[in-house]
Amino acid sequence: MGAHHHHAPPSDVRIRVRAIESLLLEKGLVDSAAMDKIVETFEKDIGPRRGAEVVAHAWTDPEYRKRLLENGTAAIGEFGYTGLQAEEMIVVEDTPKVHNMVVCTLCSCYPWTVLGLPPVWYKSAPYRSRVVIDPRGVLKEFGVTLPESTEIRVWDSNSELRYMVLPMRPEGTEGLSEEALAELITRDSMIGTGLPKTPAEVAA
Amino acid sequence: MPTVPVEMIDPLVAHGAPARMNVDAPTRFKVGAVIHARNINPLHHTRLPRYIRGRQGTVVRDCGVFILPDTHAHGLGPCPERLYCVRFESRELWGDDADTRNAVYITLWDRYIDD
Repeated sequence: MGAHHHHAPPSDVRIRVRAIESLLLEKGLVDSAAMDKIVETFEKDIGPRRGAEVVAHAWTDPEYRKRLLENGTAAIGEFGYTGLQAEEMIVVEDTPKVHNMVVCTLCSCYPWTVLGLPPVWYKSAPYRSRVVIDPRGVLKEFGVTLPESTEIRVWDSNSELRYMVLPMRPEGTEGLSEEALAELITRDSMIGTGLPKTPAEVAA
Repeated sequence: MPTVPVEMIDPLVAHGAPARMNVDAPTRFKVGAVIHARNINPLHHTRLPRYIRGRQGTVVRDCGVFILPDTHAHGLGPCPERLYCVRFESRELWGDDADTRNAVYITLWDRYIDD
């Protein structure tokens, strides 16, 4: 990256995006100020810290956890997190026996309002096609090895329902505040391709 | 076609574009019902992935009534239909060498389902 990056020719994707953007503007199909505003909102204001806040609260408040699993949309809405690409939220719970992973095999559906914009790999064909067939193998590539006895459930976001994983609270976190717990909760642990960090990992 | 003006972005982001419809539609399947995804190959837009077509699964949740993408994407109206969350075992989808424990959960609109 660095200086070299600036001299390299733009990638095919970048050129294509620019071409589509200029065509949309030229034909008057989008308003450039509106487009900038959307990009700014999702790049600066909305991100996975929202999801982490929700998970940390569920770890500390059993009543909230119950509400979250029963009606994800309403329970996440208690934090004021509602809207685009999180109109309908379903929260799925990891247990010692079950691990959950989220994908959109048909395109790249993702709960923007709770987790921000999707990572590049989430939108890539290899992740989308392989995670449904070999979730355990994909997990290994993310550095996660689960016991052979763990059942893996893959949630394919093919409709307007959006999924978020409620990961298991790591051991040795008793007595941590919600704020401290939220620091352990990674974006990937809410997609299901990672696990929450341990307090030792955060301190390192 | 009118463009979305910049002052509409905050309300749009906050409220989204809900696809749930506040109307009734028949409930053909109860939770626990064993169903098949239809083996169809429409030329129009659909949200029934190929790997699910023709496969057997179990209804795990009645999600309510939603806009049907197959018609809506073509400007042919919302055509509200009941949406079901269905569990498909990995073995059923991927064959004998698949992991026996794993499963895919996906939602199917009423018309994607045979009993």
